[in-house]
Amino acid sequence: MSGRRWYRTAGRYATLTVLALMFVFPLYMMVVNSLLPPEQLLKKANFWVSPGDALWGGYSTAWNDGHIGEYLGNSVVVTTLIVAGQVVTAVLAAYAFAFLDFPLKRTLFVVFLTTMMIPFEVVFFVNLDTITDFGDLPLVGDYVGFDTYGGLALPFLATGFGAFLVRQAFLSLPRDLRDAAALDGYGHFRFLTRVAIPLARPSIAALGLFAFFGAWNQYLWPLVASTEDHRTVQVGLGFVSEGSVDQVNVAFAALVLASIPLFVLLIVFQKQLVRGLTAGAVKG
Amino acid sequence: MREALLGYALVLPALLVFGTFIFYPFVRTAWLGLFEQPLFGGDSTWVGLDQYLDEWRSDDFRNSLFVTVKFAVFTVPVGISLGVLLAVVGHQRLRGIGVYRTIFSSTVATSIAVASVLFFTLFNQQLGVLTKLLNREGETPVLDDPRLAFIAVCGVTIWQNLGLSFIVISAGLQAVPDELLEAARVDGAGAFRRFFRVTMPLLSPTLLFAVVVGSILAFQAFAQVDLLTEGGPGDRTNVLTYAIKTTALGNPPDQGAAAAYAMALFAITLLLTVVQLRFLERRVTYER
Amino acid sequence: MRPMRWLPLVLAVALVAGGCGGGDDDDDTSTDDTSTDGTAASGDDDAAEVDPSLCPVDALTDADKPVEIEYWHAMTRANEEELIRLTDEFNASQSDVRVTLSASPSYPENLTRYTAGLSTDELPDLYQGEETNLQLLIDSQSIVPAAACIAAADYDTSGIIERVLTRYTVEGIQYAMPFNVSNPILYYNKTAFTAAGLDPEAPPTTLEEVRETSQAIVDSGVATHGISFKTDAWFTEQWMAKAGEEYVNNGNGRDARATAVAFDNETGLALYTWLSDMEKDGLLVSTGTGDLEHYVAIPNNESAMTIDSSAALGTIFQLFDQGQYANVDLGAAPMPGPASADGGVLVGGASNYVVNRSSDAEQAAAWKFAEFLADEQTQSEWAAATGYIPIREASTTISPLVERWVEQPELKVAYDQLLAGADNLATAGPVLGPAGARGEGMRGAVIDAIAAMFAEGLPPEDALAQATEGSNEAIEDYNDRVG
Repeated sequence: MSGRRWYRTAGRYATLTVLALMFVFPLYMMVVNSLLPPEQLLKKANFWVSPGDALWGGYSTAWNDGHIGEYLGNSVVVTTLIVAGQVVTAVLAAYAFAFLDFPLKRTLFVVFLTTMMIPFEVVFFVNLDTITDFGDLPLVGDYVGFDTYGGLALPFLATGFGAFLVRQAFLSLPRDLRDAAALDGYGHFRFLTRVAIPLARPSIAALGLFAFFGAWNQYLWPLVASTEDHRTVQVGLGFVSEGSVDQVNVAFAALVLASIPLFVLLIVFQKQLVRGLTAGAVKG
Repeated sequence: MREALLGYALVLPALLVFGTFIFYPFVRTAWLGLFEQPLFGGDSTWVGLDQYLDEWRSDDFRNSLFVTVKFAVFTVPVGISLGVLLAVVGHQRLRGIGVYRTIFSSTVATSIAVASVLFFTLFNQQLGVLTKLLNREGETPVLDDPRLAFIAVCGVTIWQNLGLSFIVISAGLQAVPDELLEAARVDGAGAFRRFFRVTMPLLSPTLLFAVVVGSILAFQAFAQVDLLTEGGPGDRTNVLTYAIKTTALGNPPDQGAAAAYAMALFAITLLLTVVQLRFLERRVTYER
Repeated sequence: MRPMRWLPLVLAVALVAGGCGGGDDDDDTSTDDTSTDGTAASGDDDAAEVDPSLCPVDALTDADKPVEIEYWHAMTRANEEELIRLTDEFNASQSDVRVTLSASPSYPENLTRYTAGLSTDELPDLYQGEETNLQLLIDSQSIVPAAACIAAADYDTSGIIERVLTRYTVEGIQYAMPFNVSNPILYYNKTAFTAAGLDPEAPPTTLEEVRETSQAIVDSGVATHGISFKTDAWFTEQWMAKAGEEYVNNGNGRDARATAVAFDNETGLALYTWLSDMEKDGLLVSTGTGDLEHYVAIPNNESAMTIDSSAALGTIFQLFDQGQYANVDLGAAPMPGPASADGGVLVGGASNYVVNRSSDAEQAAAWKFAEFLADEQTQSEWAAATGYIPIREASTTISPLVERWVEQPELKVAYDQLLAGADNLATAGPVLGPAGARGEGMRGAVIDAIAAMFAEGLPPEDALAQATEGSNEAIEDYNDRVG
């Protein structure tokens, strides 16, 4: 290796490292300060906590007194409902758009797409009234009203984007496959479950992940449509950190706890994640 | 015939959701704007378009609109440029580059709420590290300073979005064939020329997508304002979404005025979404 | 069952049929109250008449017991713990009324919940309203004036400190039952005072002295600034009251509805100038709008004094007992400021309102609970645990308060300060619909102006003008809408 090359590579690593450090600094502080005994915070020299001083108690305080454990549970329930809803409605609708023919099909598809034009922030307060009214319905009122899991999930059980994505995947299946299946006597249901879904799995998984991230990170709707009884973790973080100047380690522990699920997903499902997040951005 | 019925049945669930939670509330919001809501419950008064016009002409609305546009104009280009920087730097073939790539995507694991609460504490005047680093001990806290609060909110937004930008733009970079870059290098093109003449053009569809989607998301920003500044010192961070929320659910609530704000937000995002859909459509026709 | 708000068509028909409704209740359960919304003649306190039948105190005897009621409050931390304890005690001691508590994290949030509930009919039976909510609650026509209940139940208010009752009286009618009273006090670090060569038992009493003390502290190097200030609007309200001046017009909003602020005068300018100069000279550190930073600045050696509500005493002492704040020996003293024979600090805190949308039995039950919260023994325990001021003098002579004050004399400071003030319209405090909070109304305008003064160096005259303009705008908007 020539001397010049050595400089070059070192320079590249240096740039990378500087950028990486600057980038990750806040996260680093988040983890370190979650372990910091509150006394040390006043000195503001809190870049490092020695293993001896590390206080793990912040995590259990955040989990219990701070209710983060409860909030995480609520997030899991609501997110599951939303993801399931979005995937199911998308697959069903996409099947219809891709493989069936019916009057007004094109119009309906356009209707699906137009839903993407109306941001939730525009309609949320009317939805709040609607959900509150749902609470008065007989039988189901307790499950779909204000401050219920149903109420938190209902507005998001379907998206135009989901139908679009899965329809695209279905459309890319070769025509011969359909014809062969028809010859073999496959009805719609069998075709859907035995052929279409398995072959479109990457797109469906991508949709699932996309939906998961969207649902898990929601803030506005859980903020206005629930009380502490069904609070999700994103909204809960704001409450845990409020007035916690004397217990910053607890607030940060809460942040770490709230991020762990996404971190895990990021690592385990990296490939599908990239696909889901870039869906529509790049070819293939 | 049966096929038609099946078709309708399959799209029905989604349509029900859309009808109830998107189309109906949209119409109703527009309708609410035509009535002045009384302070403490009771019947509203018909005022026609007056409320819309009054609100849109008001200083508060203009401020919100200005703040929101400023926010998008600031965070989107800066965010994408930084994303390109990180993506290019992370695209090099070096040993251990994977570690750096994971680090650069890491903010994907945080939500905007996490990022906001995190920075809220880091900016804390008495306890926050950033106060010390920025040499602002004894000065007005950053988030309460009318000149700095907006920048801080933009900064937090950009930081949190970088992970995602990195992933998206990196994926776009994959589409740039190495052979082309090699060929350019052999032809004597330096790093900058290679970047601007070869990489950027091939990256531009991805960047365009990122800009459009990023802008739409920027107009929907809410959590960071709620958690960091609550509309900001002197309304300096009072973006449209936040103004809608505080008006619709305020003390006392005013759904009529909120509707005017909401419709304005819709109009803006409509413009951006039309562009986005056009873009997606073109992608689709290419693939077909 | 409330009609579903589904069809715009139905709404349109209803509108056409109902005509213009600038304040009609579409609710049938509130039969009372439109006659006592403050339209009684102005004048002295005893002139106004209120109808005792507005408060159905007798409904309790015939009702199915226990009557369940809900109390919306905004107490937190140590204060919330004590409220829970007292409520449990109340519930256990009798079987007529059962109270369920529902907490909001702050007064503004409690208010938002209430105002939202006005349209959906999701309201509590008893509501804890901050002192600034008075006019707004009156205008909402959703409360039973306390005066009605006092008359109907033949309740003896003579043991309650007069100033506290005046606080909640508008145009001669008392609207709320006092509960938790506080006023601002000076918190200071005795250790720092001693180290700076100052007498720890002689804290400053005027703004001049605050400046001198701050200078001494900064000069001695004991702390980087003398005093830390949260950016809030009530300081100026308090100082104007101490100077014996009204904050808004029309008798501080008590003779008639306020139409403009009255603080844009010499006194107001002097106050803003004092704040601005202190900050510019490095004697004052502005800690922004956070709730605890001005306290934390003290052990952080950024300041040696701060001014805040006595309501925080319980929580603050709890906080400062923890290890990391060991270098601080906290003292409490009356709030420094202008001193006038006609002046005094305002009666702060919150009070209880009986909501008129509940059933008669629930209203009676709510009144019963309000009586409990205001009685001698309860107030003694409440004040002892929280640091709030007892509303009855008698409470200060019985356990547990009497011992607590011996143990911790700081708790007595706010009480003495309250008694020392004059009882007039200025010290009763401003009554204003859009009193507001951070980001809205009059207080929002004041906060923005003061923040600009501290952060951007806006000259005090301009800041005062900005605060005046913003407040008056909010007042006009509100008065227009309330009709």
